[in-house]
Amino acid sequence: MTQAANTTVTQTRERKRFSVREIAIEYAVLILLGAVIVALAILSPSFFTFGNIVNILNQNAPLVIIASAGTFVIVSGNFDLSTGAIYGVAGVVSAWLAVSTGNVVLALAAAPVVGVVLGSFNGIVITKLRVHSFLATLASSMIFTTIAVLITGGSLITVTTPGFTALGRDRIGGVFIAVFVMIIIAAAFWLLLSRTVFGRHVYAVGGNDEAAELSGINVTRTRVFVFMLSGLAAGTAAAIGVSRIASGQPLSGAGLELSAIAAVILGGTSIYGGVGAVWRSIAGVFLIALIGNGFDLLDLNPQLKDMVTGFIILAAVGLAAAGRNRR
Amino acid sequence: MKHTKTLFAGLSILALGATLTACSPGSGDGAGGDSYEIVVLASSSQNGYNQAVYEGVETKAKELSESLGVTIKTKIQDGQFDANTQLSQLQNAGTSGSVDGIIVVPHDGPALAAAFPLANPKPVAAVLNPIGPEISVMEPQVEGVVSTVASPPANGAKLQAESVVEYCKDIDPCKVGYLAGLLNSPLDVERVAAWDSVIEKHKNITVVGTLEGAYDRDKSLTAVSNLLQAHPDLNGILSNADQQTMGAQIALENAGIDPASVFLTGGGGTIEAVQAVLDGKWTNDFLNFPVSMGESALEQIMNSILGKDVAPVVDADSLVDVGPIADRSVLEAAAFTGQWNG
Repeated sequence: MTQAANTTVTQTRERKRFSVREIAIEYAVLILLGAVIVALAILSPSFFTFGNIVNILNQNAPLVIIASAGTFVIVSGNFDLSTGAIYGVAGVVSAWLAVSTGNVVLALAAAPVVGVVLGSFNGIVITKLRVHSFLATLASSMIFTTIAVLITGGSLITVTTPGFTALGRDRIGGVFIAVFVMIIIAAAFWLLLSRTVFGRHVYAVGGNDEAAELSGINVTRTRVFVFMLSGLAAGTAAAIGVSRIASGQPLSGAGLELSAIAAVILGGTSIYGGVGAVWRSIAGVFLIALIGNGFDLLDLNPQLKDMVTGFIILAAVGLAAAGRNRR
Repeated sequence: MKHTKTLFAGLSILALGATLTACSPGSGDGAGGDSYEIVVLASSSQNGYNQAVYEGVETKAKELSESLGVTIKTKIQDGQFDANTQLSQLQNAGTSGSVDGIIVVPHDGPALAAAFPLANPKPVAAVLNPIGPEISVMEPQVEGVVSTVASPPANGAKLQAESVVEYCKDIDPCKVGYLAGLLNSPLDVERVAAWDSVIEKHKNITVVGTLEGAYDRDKSLTAVSNLLQAHPDLNGILSNADQQTMGAQIALENAGIDPASVFLTGGGGTIEAVQAVLDGKWTNDFLNFPVSMGESALEQIMNSILGKDVAPVVDADSLVDVGPIADRSVLEAAAFTGQWNG
């Protein structure tokens, strides 16, 4: 073999090693998800059962919907810290309408509408007042939470209206209706971000908003629409949540916004904007969900759950950072 | 002339002093139209339990105002479930000249001990949890707290565990899941330890899982759904909060298990929980009486202000003549419907 040939073989091997490493970095969340699935399948005979899989999907339907829309927000270079509060307001409005009118369809349909209205408020404040989305949505979350508390008087609204729990508890073919809703909405968000002009605008705004503006993209409109989507998702998730527990609680969404952001980041979407995908966020949600599921199935100390989740988030984000540094 | 000026100034000061004294709240002995201001420091004002305590305070204030011929004004502050926020509020209330008495629903009793002695001492009553380092000691632990309206957390937890033992007496193994609030909270650590102290003596009972419900219906629904995957033959759930038990009930129903076919208990005595026991869906419930606790706390504070005898400890479990562990027959006999929504 000539020296030139040796060099070519060596370069090919390096490329191969490089590409395996790149794949590992690119798909870190899927690899970790696979590892957790394999570990739980070995450790718990209850894990890989139809009932458990359906439960996991159902339990996380609201978070998947919020995180899918949250991907748009973070890809566009923003944060939405108000989704938990929007979830709370939309939930109590829905419960209040169900109790007051007895009209289940009206009550459940009101939740996404409330979400869109509050999401639009966020978008307008951020773009017109030029307040950073982190601060604007932090402030708006306080306003929205107070609205929810005022509606309920700090207590909860118990809903006994017949049919109200169908969305959250009924099943088709053994699978919860909420799971089908989650799949349809997540697929719609995935198509919107990855296959449409609007999706490309979101990436462009998050990558470099000045360049996006100069290339003719309406940055303001794109941002407002992104926050409307986030509100719509939080409201839809609230409809599922309030139907499931049959009660409107003003603080029911507390912490949901951080769980959604953690899932989006865990999936590999960049907090600097311009990079990310909806499927990544969904994988992030289920990676965190499986840790919780595993702790309950295996009767592990729940106090360690957050620590394990924290280490996994660090591992995934660390891998992604390593990838960025290499490039 | 100089003497006249001095006399005028002296009279003016005396008049001003007399006016200020007359206007100052809490200055009288309870008669003659005096006015008193009581502040309720809620662990969170956006919480059904705290709202119920405040409702009791307001009700009693109205009652005592009429019977004593005084004016008792009340106001509530929001502790936001934050120890530091509540500590600051307590220090501020202890400094303010307008406040005559303070009722606290402590978020973190040990942390609030740092506020004492108050800069301008006012009588303080603690509701639900004591203020001071020992969460099980109801007698006032710091100077300034005149009364604690509560019961040791282990008391109710032991009663709950004993009812599980009774339920499981003919079942072997009897598989039970713990559904605790927050396992990093001293209150819940004490409750779980109390459950253990009773359950461990009975070898037929197996604790198959310890879950965190975080006083949240949805989180409890998720946790119990997961537990049921591993243990579909579960015999019972031991929960310290009604919101959590309601989540467990939904999880059982989702799994196709009739809640009435397993042991279910909760803690709180909410209207919904009482109804669930009356409907036969839950085995029993550990009742709380937050409205009565608020009434009692205000009564003790007013006793202290008016120089009457104060009960340093009011056993919260004895405020209503029912329970505190109540099954269907007890509730039916007492016609008790619950004091709050949670």
